[in-house]
Amino acid sequence: MNKFRHYFSLVMQKSAADLLTEARRGYLGVLWWIIEPIIYMSVFYLIFVVVFDRGGEDRVGFLLTGLVVWKWFSAAILQSSNSISANVGLIRQVYIPKIVFPSMAIMSATMKFFIVFILLVGFLVLSGKTPSISWLSIPLLISIQWLLMLSIGCILSVLVPFLPDMKLIIENGLILMFFLSGVFFDISVASPEVKTFLYLNPMVGIIESYRNVMLNGVWPDWIFLSVVVVSSLLALLVGVYMLVRYDRQFAKVL
Amino acid sequence: MNNHESTNEGRLAISLKNVAVAYSQKSGLFRRKDYWAIKDVSFDLFHGETLGVIGRNGVGKSTLLRLLAGIIDPDKGEVLNYGVVASLLSLQVGFVQYLTGRENAILSGMMLGLAKQQVLMNMNDIRDYADLGEFFDQPVHVYSSGMRARLGMSVAVYANPDVVLLDEVLGVGDVEFREKSAATIHEMCQSNRSVVLVSHQPAMHKKLCDRLIWIEDGCVRKTGDVDSVLSEYMHYFEKTRS
Repeated sequence: MNKFRHYFSLVMQKSAADLLTEARRGYLGVLWWIIEPIIYMSVFYLIFVVVFDRGGEDRVGFLLTGLVVWKWFSAAILQSSNSISANVGLIRQVYIPKIVFPSMAIMSATMKFFIVFILLVGFLVLSGKTPSISWLSIPLLISIQWLLMLSIGCILSVLVPFLPDMKLIIENGLILMFFLSGVFFDISVASPEVKTFLYLNPMVGIIESYRNVMLNGVWPDWIFLSVVVVSSLLALLVGVYMLVRYDRQFAKVL
Repeated sequence: MNNHESTNEGRLAISLKNVAVAYSQKSGLFRRKDYWAIKDVSFDLFHGETLGVIGRNGVGKSTLLRLLAGIIDPDKGEVLNYGVVASLLSLQVGFVQYLTGRENAILSGMMLGLAKQQVLMNMNDIRDYADLGEFFDQPVHVYSSGMRARLGMSVAVYANPDVVLLDEVLGVGDVEFREKSAATIHEMCQSNRSVVLVSHQPAMHKKLCDRLIWIEDGCVRKTGDVDSVLSEYMHYFEKTRS
């Protein structure tokens, strides 16, 4: 238990350090936490709302909600899958339980997500959305997505050091998932066969849940969310088992 | 630094029993070939002793230290740890470029197993030991490599494990700091904790070690008191060279 506390505080310390590092790198400092996501979102706004004129009446909110949620997912998966390989130097010098590395990566992505998410909520309220009772489920949605990312991140972080080629597959897989996750189109307009296929990607349902809750004031689909929770927990079990199994092998293969 | 009681003296700290370690190397599209860095090594490390390891480059000395530190598991044999914390006295563990020396000391100390509170309590000592002046509160990326090594050394010294594993780290910083770190290492060897010292300098082994292990080609060639192992090692070296 004591060890758990120690490594938890190490995860928090390192994630905070990563955030600080990013802030100190450029001249604009802390402002980058806000400017970067705004630039990122403006690019997509320009392309899909201004140029292609996509989305329904709520199109800006619709697009931004999807983007913010997706960006958190893709940053967390990309960084956590790489987390053990990227820390070779450290892993060769000192013993740290390897589960610490994907956890650190997901924690830094999460800290950045919180900043952007607060901006998103601010934008929605300013643009005339009144918070409804369904917003109470937002913390739950965030927790579920976090659990999903942690389970995927743990498994991938073990695979990448052994199969370095996975890195490219993950990067491109994320691009594919991004286009298929309904960030800038409404999944419900797709044909039933395509829809079943698209829903295999859990992020489709998660993004839809955020939109239902935040834009339409509707409660999310509890059955879908339970399925995500149960399968994430199972995957997490597998991931943690792999991390423990290969805990003292990584320094040899890296 | 002196909280290691002498009551443990003579008790086993770690023992290695017929340990072997293989690294797998890529040799073709899906094929991997095993390379045995350590083939068959057995020895005991006792509390309070300073054990020297000698051998040529690439005979598995660093791998041996990683085994003792618990960073890797052996592929054959076993490493028995009798409840000690062993860690490499490694420099610059996990330094982050844009953090200050002070912030890096906290992070690095935590990675070496200290609680944040412990690092903060020792912060003044760490700062004095590193002796970086006002650079201590400046980001590490403006440091010279010598300054970085000084910061690393001082954090490592205060991390204070039961078993210190030293891998030829003494050539750090300027003359003054080198003397300081040599004195610290001397002190560690004299103290009640165990030290494993890997070095190429026979003079250093003579000065610091109680016992010596000679590793050749992944196996223990000879174990014993410093003088007899050293003389045989030198003799072997002369012979292979001529």
